[in-house]
Amino acid sequence: MNSLPLISLDHVSKSYGANPVLRDCSLKVAPGEIVVVCGPSGSGKSTLIKTINGLEPYQSGTIMFEGKVVGARSTDLPAVRARIGMVFQSFELYPHMTALKNVMLAQTHVLKRSSEEARARSLELLAKVGLSERAHAYPANLSGGQQQRVAIARALALDPIAMLFDEPTSALDPEMINEVLDVMVSLAREGMTMVVVTHEMGFARRVASRVVFMDEGRIVEDRPSAQFFEAPDTERARAFLSKIIAH
Amino acid sequence: MFDVILANMPFLLEGLRMTLLLAVIGILGGTILGLVLAILRYRRVPVLGALAALYIETVRGIPLLVMLLICFFALPALFSYRTTAFAAASLGFSLFIASYLAEEFRSGLRAVRPGLTQAGLATGLRPGQVFRLIVLPQAIRRAIPPLFSQYVRLLKFTSVASVIGVRELTGSALLVNARDFQPVIILGCVALTYLVVCSLLSFVGRLLYARLAIRS
Repeated sequence: MNSLPLISLDHVSKSYGANPVLRDCSLKVAPGEIVVVCGPSGSGKSTLIKTINGLEPYQSGTIMFEGKVVGARSTDLPAVRARIGMVFQSFELYPHMTALKNVMLAQTHVLKRSSEEARARSLELLAKVGLSERAHAYPANLSGGQQQRVAIARALALDPIAMLFDEPTSALDPEMINEVLDVMVSLAREGMTMVVVTHEMGFARRVASRVVFMDEGRIVEDRPSAQFFEAPDTERARAFLSKIIAH
Repeated sequence: MFDVILANMPFLLEGLRMTLLLAVIGILGGTILGLVLAILRYRRVPVLGALAALYIETVRGIPLLVMLLICFFALPALFSYRTTAFAAASLGFSLFIASYLAEEFRSGLRAVRPGLTQAGLATGLRPGQVFRLIVLPQAIRRAIPPLFSQYVRLLKFTSVASVIGVRELTGSALLVNARDFQPVIILGCVALTYLVVCSLLSFVGRLLYARLAIRS
């Protein structure tokens, strides 16, 4: 594995007014790595991954993606974002467009693909997430699990070299969680670099190379996943794990 | 009993044509101006955004009749140009209704979930593209019902143009009544005509909304 990090956060801090949300967070993600970020709600997980593609600004420290500083004036942020796919907790599909158009939009407007090319690529990706039949459906006529799979296809449409997942299954009914996780597992198997905020510890155990545990804006633990699940270093991580795996 | 209507039919129909023409001009002009004002205000464009807000609040505080009188007498005097009652009314209605339409557009814009903007930005779209391709189309769809109720208001407001001498439906009816004096029949028919035309307009609005509605 290439050891040069694709994503690196170096002493990143952020606050809303006097309220710190990220405190001195450092993290490196090498190509092909799958990093799961977990922690109690309000611990800064979502904010952390949204700083990686510049959706959340940060006040101190440095974030680099492919050697470019995210948030620097000289960095073309949209160009960086086009290299990183992102999937959100509440799907965020464009409600006035069909699934197919959702997947096509950035291809034609960001990558400047012709619409035939974008359509072909979109249909391919919708097939990959198991939704060929639903290409012409509007988001409101899709189940949560289907919407999230379209959202994954939309993110993949730009041929990103990394994917960010912000609690991709938290808004789903239990019976739909697996259809989304299956797609994510197959992406992981293909070698996609992924940073995943999730409470799905089964997923983490199965595919994560590392687990990062956050609490109160700090990265408290960052360890290979096998070690993390065997014996977390900190009391806080132990307490968190016992709470979410207890039943 | 309806002799007075039948005898004056061509004259009254010409009035109706003027009413519809005024309404269409007001709707088109007001919608374009209203959308521009709403975008300037919503996107907080420096200086222009504040001017748009000032315009909207000011015009909403002025009575329609005063607005028409300003367009008929004051503006031509101020900028020394000649105008007609019809041109002044067209301008007045557009300027007036734009301030209401702007606020309807702005509520539509504000109703679009911020998460969608984030999703668009995350795919590498630039902020202007996100606004044009994602936010605006949804805002307009959401705004259709309130826009059409403003259009219906405007259609009824056109009767005020008779005061500055435009021979639209109400103005024509008043002329007929002055000669033949049959107020019950004449004004009854006029009221009924407005009712029918307004109902048609709101029907078109409902049809459009049903076709374009964000399915949710």
